[in-house]
Amino acid sequence: MTSPSIYFDEVNERQGLFHRRAFLFGGGAGLGLAALGVRLAHLQLLETKRYRMLSEHNQFQFLLTPPPRGLILDRNGVVLASNRPAFRLLLARDETTDVTAVLADLAKLAPLDEARLHRAAAELDAAPRKAPVAVLEDMTWEEFSRVNVRAPELPGVTADMGEVRVYPFGGAFAHVIGYVAKVNARDLAKSGPNADPILLNPGFRIGKQGVEKAFDLDLRGKAGARKVEVDVKGRQVRQDPAGDIAPAPGAPIRLTLDADIQNRALEVFGEESGAAVMIDCRSGDILCLLSAPSFDANRFVKGLTAPEYRALAGYDRKPLFNKALTATYPPGSTFKTMVALTALEHGVDPNRTYACHGAWAWGGRVWHCDKSHGVLNMHDAIRQSCDIFFYQTALGVGPDRIAATARHFGLGEVFDLGIPGQKPGIIPDTAYKRRAFPQDPVWHPGETPSMGIGQGYVSVNALQLAVMVSRLANGARALKPRLVHSIGGVVQPSGAEAPGLPFAREHIDFVRAAMASVVESGTAAASGQLGLGPIKMAGKTGTAQSHTYTAAAGGIHGAKGAWAMRDHAWFVAFAPYDDPRYALSVLVEHGGFGGTAATPKAAELMRVALLKDPQVRARIVAPLPTSEPPALGRPGAVT
Amino acid sequence: MTAPAITRQGERDRLVVKLSQIDWIFCLMLAAIAAAGGLMLYSIAGGAWSPWAGRHLTLFAVCFVIMIALATVDVRVWFSLAYPTYAIGLLLLLAVAVVGHSTLGARRWLDLGPLRIQPSEIIKIGLVLALARFYHGLPADKARFSGWLLIPAALIIVPAAIVAHQPDLGTALLIVATGGVTMILAGLSLRLATVGVVGVAAVLPAVFMFVLKSYQRARLLTFLDPEADRSGAGYHIIQSKIALGSGGLLGKGFGLGTQSQLNFLPEKSTDFIFSSLAEEFGFLGCVLVLAAYAAVIFMALRMASLAHSHFARLAAGGVTATFALCVLINGAMVMGLAPVVGVPMPLLSYGGTVMITMMVGFALVLSVRVHRYSEVTRGKGAFL
Repeated sequence: MTSPSIYFDEVNERQGLFHRRAFLFGGGAGLGLAALGVRLAHLQLLETKRYRMLSEHNQFQFLLTPPPRGLILDRNGVVLASNRPAFRLLLARDETTDVTAVLADLAKLAPLDEARLHRAAAELDAAPRKAPVAVLEDMTWEEFSRVNVRAPELPGVTADMGEVRVYPFGGAFAHVIGYVAKVNARDLAKSGPNADPILLNPGFRIGKQGVEKAFDLDLRGKAGARKVEVDVKGRQVRQDPAGDIAPAPGAPIRLTLDADIQNRALEVFGEESGAAVMIDCRSGDILCLLSAPSFDANRFVKGLTAPEYRALAGYDRKPLFNKALTATYPPGSTFKTMVALTALEHGVDPNRTYACHGAWAWGGRVWHCDKSHGVLNMHDAIRQSCDIFFYQTALGVGPDRIAATARHFGLGEVFDLGIPGQKPGIIPDTAYKRRAFPQDPVWHPGETPSMGIGQGYVSVNALQLAVMVSRLANGARALKPRLVHSIGGVVQPSGAEAPGLPFAREHIDFVRAAMASVVESGTAAASGQLGLGPIKMAGKTGTAQSHTYTAAAGGIHGAKGAWAMRDHAWFVAFAPYDDPRYALSVLVEHGGFGGTAATPKAAELMRVALLKDPQVRARIVAPLPTSEPPALGRPGAVT
Repeated sequence: MTAPAITRQGERDRLVVKLSQIDWIFCLMLAAIAAAGGLMLYSIAGGAWSPWAGRHLTLFAVCFVIMIALATVDVRVWFSLAYPTYAIGLLLLLAVAVVGHSTLGARRWLDLGPLRIQPSEIIKIGLVLALARFYHGLPADKARFSGWLLIPAALIIVPAAIVAHQPDLGTALLIVATGGVTMILAGLSLRLATVGVVGVAAVLPAVFMFVLKSYQRARLLTFLDPEADRSGAGYHIIQSKIALGSGGLLGKGFGLGTQSQLNFLPEKSTDFIFSSLAEEFGFLGCVLVLAAYAAVIFMALRMASLAHSHFARLAAGGVTATFALCVLINGAMVMGLAPVVGVPMPLLSYGGTVMITMMVGFALVLSVRVHRYSEVTRGKGAFL
């Protein structure tokens, strides 16, 4: 090196400068690090609580546990609706899920057919992000374990065990109990913005009909929650049983129905269409409320396929329709009990006679009777169900008085059963005529004879007729029907706490005696025998026109011709006659004559009820210890 | 009493003397930080060496050996390689702009067979060397304020612009900041520096509107209001703050950080490794690590100050600036004080190229200490 390589003056100057600047920079960096430390202290020391909570919110998820749905029981504790475990396959999607590919993979593990895959894809499409959808329910154990083993590799797939509603009797209670089905968008919209979050649980079902719908909130219970640790993709990493909240099971609901009677009623109807309602005429409890034919409610729980639904909806005997409550029919001759009672109450002499020659000309037309009964008093007119007697009796008292009586006996009334669907029908009077026919608001005398035989404008449902006969049988109180015995152990008010019937006891007794003679020797004598020794039934047949007989239809009616053109058959009854306990009404839609189509069914149901009653049984067995008790479960007696 | 061997010419060129002059406490600090990184990477992998912790520690060990080796390279060699390094870095940057390998929409990599080069890392060292080399020949009065300063400004702006175009905003920002700090260390008028910072602040809105890509704009907006986009860009900041805050004073414990273990924390092995550390070791752990960083910065600045040549001082100072800025930017980012710009926490974060850059930089710092008595010629002419 030839020249000094360091210029000292400059070195000193620049070194001093660098020192100052390095000091400045070091101070700046130190300040910066200190600022980071302050920020850390703020986050980690002062706001720890808040961030701990947020962290736990990330880490843990509360998964809703559906509560077990409340049982539905009959009056003796027989289970009418319960739950059974079922293995389900759930799939949730997020942005990264290829739904089609996952479903295709699943189809290799579980029996997923084309239609189901289609439905699952559609449901997943509609479901919110990360919300699991039940792709398949009711898997076998083998399928469940197969899917469960592979589930971790399939994004969003879980298999779990849930509960499925089951109706052990299938059809017999379908109209009363209804069924549960999956929550749909309409249900959610109805329950408002603060819907119970359990409604969004995959596969959760709510009541859609009958008791299941009306008491859905009682039966549903309160959802519990499971605390699980999840990662950012929502996969469960760990469970924390200590953090679980147990679900509150739904309240059991006990009905007043009797499973034996109800099931027998469905058997008795077989393929026939109609309704049967039985009421305990001491308490007002409904023992049987059947509409036939019925359907298997369990199919609705699974979800009906389109062909299944079309088959049910298209069948002309309307299995989905509750004929005991929702359908109204003219009561026919069963209404004569009301006309007779009205006449007695208004001073008509029961011994006054009319002559029946099969036809009666009045008011410019001819009024028919089904045969020539000869000269009849009121008792015989009920026994023989003579129309010509009641045309004239009705004309004597007028529509308003008959209607008033009918209303006292529950006709035209909608009762508080707890379940929806009752149609009130029509009990016509002059006020009704004014209200319903503004262009012809006058009651014409020619309309009264039809009303006297339960035709014309008169229409009732099967429950109302059962209430009518139960009040006649009770004789003292205007019983209210009761269907729900208790909800979660809380007993509902009894129907026996009802106001008295403002009718003279002897007049009611007169009608009851006439009804006893109907079975003993009248229109129901051939088919209405109970065969239970001293236990006798009292009743009244009815054959109601289902349409106006016209020449076009060839005058065909009664029990002949096309099914839909035949008359409706009614039978109302109570038993035992001397100590009334059970009252019923039976309707056979287009069944023909009441005495042949409805009476045998009524007698069979009455027998089941009576033989279940230990006090009645004692009366049957005690006087004749040697004779065999009558066989149970024998088909409706037909003579 | 003889003078220490390091002061005697000839003696100080012996390897043993050189090794004895390496600041081993400084090296220990680096190793401590890298070990903390390895520990965290082990934890967030669910208690496993793969995929991160093992490779992180192995790479550090290799880099450590290279660093010691490079520390024995005379400052004059570094001096002579300053402009060539910068030139190569710049050429590679241009090459990457033309034929670079793109990941996530940004061209940052150059694929050379088995070797993947990230030229923006080379230019970080190259720039520091080139600036030191330039200022070495510039008298103090001119370094303060003169027309000559257009040259270092160009040295800074050109690579920064290319990197920003990749686009890698974080690195471009780091290059500009490092260059700026080096200029200040070299004696830039503080008044001018203030004017420069204010000027940059003034043009930022225009840059924001017209230069930035939409995702960069989104990141900045998100930084200003993270709650506005909870699941998108704001998610990073929110989750990082949750991880930090929920750590508390002592942390959730090793391997028990739920935010990182359950993957709520994004980029947990790289940009947000500090959040994982904060979650599991709490405020105390964070303060310890920050203290280690502070120690590294101050020791490095001290080593720079001891050098006899201006080149050595500025080179060591520039490397220290790069390191300190990285720490501050990443720290501010994970704590929600700065936008998410993709600057890793040096030595703590997993990531090969950044580790190599930093360790080569520290090799330069150590070399400056070892060769603090080396006389660097002013060379022919002022700057070349």
